[in-house]
Amino acid sequence: MSELTTFHTVDEGRFHIHTLQTDQFRTRHLVAKLAVPLHRERITETAMLPYLWLEGTRSHPTALAITRCADDLFGAMLRSGIGKRGNRHVAEVYLSVPDEGRLRGADGIFEQGLGLLLEVVTDPLLEGGGFSNGNVERERGLHRKRIESVLDDKIAWAMERALAESLAGLPEGLPRLGFAEDLEAVTPEGLYAAHQALLQEAEVHVYAIGAFDDSPALASRVLTALREAFPDPRHGTPSPGVPAVAPVPARSGEPHRVTDDQPVQQGKLNLVYRTGVAYASDDYPALLVANGVLGGFPHSKLFRNVREKASLAYYASSRVDALSGLVIIQTGIDPANRDRAEAIILEQVDALRRGDVADEELAFTKRGLANQYRQSLDVPAAMADIHFGGVLAGHTRTVDELLDAIADVTRDQVVAAANRLQLDTVYFLRGEGGAEHA
Amino acid sequence: MRESIDDRLGHVLYHETLPNGLNVYLLPKPGFQQTYATFTTHYGSVDSTFRLTGEPEFTTVPDGIAHFLEHKMFESEHGDVFRDFARHGASANAYTTFDITSYLFSSTQDIQENLEVLLDFVQDPYFTDENVAKEKGIIAQEIRMYEDNPDTRVFYGLLRALYAVHPVRIDIAGTVDSIQRIDKETLYRCYRTFYHPANMVFFAVGGFDPEAAMAVIRENQARKSFPEAPRIERKTPSEPPGVHQARAEVRLAVSQPRCLIGWKDPDPLPPGPGILERELLTGVVLDVLFGRSSDLFDELIGEGLIDQQFSWEYERTPEYGYSLIGGNTPDPDRLAARVEAKLDEVRERGLPEAEFERCRRKSIGRFMAALDSPSYIARHFASYRFRGADLFQTVEILDRLTLEDANRRMREHFVSGQRSISVVLPKA
Repeated sequence: MSELTTFHTVDEGRFHIHTLQTDQFRTRHLVAKLAVPLHRERITETAMLPYLWLEGTRSHPTALAITRCADDLFGAMLRSGIGKRGNRHVAEVYLSVPDEGRLRGADGIFEQGLGLLLEVVTDPLLEGGGFSNGNVERERGLHRKRIESVLDDKIAWAMERALAESLAGLPEGLPRLGFAEDLEAVTPEGLYAAHQALLQEAEVHVYAIGAFDDSPALASRVLTALREAFPDPRHGTPSPGVPAVAPVPARSGEPHRVTDDQPVQQGKLNLVYRTGVAYASDDYPALLVANGVLGGFPHSKLFRNVREKASLAYYASSRVDALSGLVIIQTGIDPANRDRAEAIILEQVDALRRGDVADEELAFTKRGLANQYRQSLDVPAAMADIHFGGVLAGHTRTVDELLDAIADVTRDQVVAAANRLQLDTVYFLRGEGGAEHA
Repeated sequence: MRESIDDRLGHVLYHETLPNGLNVYLLPKPGFQQTYATFTTHYGSVDSTFRLTGEPEFTTVPDGIAHFLEHKMFESEHGDVFRDFARHGASANAYTTFDITSYLFSSTQDIQENLEVLLDFVQDPYFTDENVAKEKGIIAQEIRMYEDNPDTRVFYGLLRALYAVHPVRIDIAGTVDSIQRIDKETLYRCYRTFYHPANMVFFAVGGFDPEAAMAVIRENQARKSFPEAPRIERKTPSEPPGVHQARAEVRLAVSQPRCLIGWKDPDPLPPGPGILERELLTGVVLDVLFGRSSDLFDELIGEGLIDQQFSWEYERTPEYGYSLIGGNTPDPDRLAARVEAKLDEVRERGLPEAEFERCRRKSIGRFMAALDSPSYIARHFASYRFRGADLFQTVEILDRLTLEDANRRMREHFVSGQRSISVVLPKA
């Protein structure tokens, strides 16, 4: 197989610039990711920062000024958000601009976009010793809605609840957006302190993907800008004191069983398994294949048995959380069918553990995974995310290496990986009409 | 095979009409790993009363049948079609809208085999009493899932308020009750009516060789025999120009109210490039008024009346068209009043030229960026093709839009009698 595209990385202390020069896209992409360990005390303030950054900078003091500046770059897409990868909190800003070579009057828009991205991260609008009070007030309200509206998407809500129950007491179990109850006490000064702490402590990764004339020059320009804007780059000492993200440890005892009631039509049944196997592990490719056989695809056991054979659900699937090493099963069912659905799901996991896996299931799953990873090379943001996951786990793999590793997985390795699945939490969001089955 | 070279967009589109009437379009994108192929019929949920020319009576079919048929196509006599795609490493899917049903795969390997699987399964219906009965449980859960989803509920609520009789007011998947009336005979009848190759478009985009792909498709179709292309007569009730209800309301287990405000186009619009032009022009007007860089968006955020999920949309087919704006809001009525006040102001003063120009250019840039997404191109190409429009004329149409066009469109579209409001409120 030909060498698939991969990033060229320049490191300096905690700054890491990853460039990929390619003519494949009509768009140039930039992503800045700032990663710090998750902490209960700081979580809400840190979660607010990437949104607050887009509320105003010194030269573009309002959200409107920033949005118009991006729009004027032929509709540059500028987005920010907060993510959670394992036990890391990741503040992220993303910018993409159309390739200027194909648009009249668009010369220089990438440079301007790069400037805007660095500006929003490093040069916020300040007042006295803190962020602008007006902008903080706006974000206080918006962030509350952001947290509360997770409840409105029942699939996402059930997933959040299942993970919060499973990971209670661990940093991984903290909600990515923080807590609504913290918002009242948030101040412009406190937020600015959190901002400075983030800039001072974060591992900073900038990804640039597109038809650049000179990637090394671009990387060194970004590096210079980071050096100027961020305090203490810790020259020559890569990531001191920041261990790689490890999978959540196994634990003993019976699985937790949690049921929430809500007046909804459909029940959501989610099962969380701990495996102790995560991205950096040699067993990770085998876990990917095991999960694929179980529930990653329409040819998988869950889809075939819960949906196609028993007609119990529209969706029934499983996925791997690469950093925490969890396998999570989710399905939406009539609340009255909960016991039957759970029995069928558990039977599929048992079948996998027993090695009841046909050659076809194995072959189809490997091909399906190869298809997904190759397709990720068509999506710049996905390329950056996969690479970044490897960075956090302390073991990057190129897509080529992942594909080779998946191809080499044996049935015995799949069975061994399946036997690492330890049922941790069974979460049920019980809808109306399910109450009599309690 | 005809080639159209587009220097501005930097691509070549290949087209061929096969002897059975199937239109095939291929858009190579060198450098892309994937091939994304769609096989689409001009048949959606609104096509609920129809006959073939020569048949004595019109048939009215149960709500949700186009979507039900889409599900059932994935079962063939030899088994599950997903396995056929899985064998060749493809990811397969399908979706039904108001006016089309589309089957698709994306794959980085075995492209020829996957093209054949796609063509073959869509042209091989296999419905039995047993497999139809089994699907009802699955689709019932799909419907229940959407019933709990405030975005879906507020959207369908708006369409039911805007439209009195047109079937666009009916949920695409139907209801748990309506799908119980679906049987294999009716499914076959719908299939025979709407799945003739002459009523379909095949489109593929990605890193494949167009000559080889066209050869596979051509030979596959030549192996099969089809009756003469039937003439489909679709009957839609005559929709009054005004809205059906000014307001619709429903309660769900949500944290905060959701609100959509919609405006209904009173006029039909013949299929053709005018459809795309109407969409792009109305889109720029909506973006000027309600987009993220509008004054109103910023003010409403400041007043706590909306959050960043607030967005706009415009949809236009030959038969119907509507715009909508909205999202989360603590006070739907105050939001509606603020929007009306803004409209009064722009009707009076016109749209600001600088804003118009910014949004027009942004729209060009966003379209160019979307060309990096095979799924975006594939989803939109066939849809516009059936409406007589060409997706790839987007930039040239945007190039020639003027502020006068935008002001005329703004005054014609935002008429208070054409407006409905749909609200989802939290359960007490």
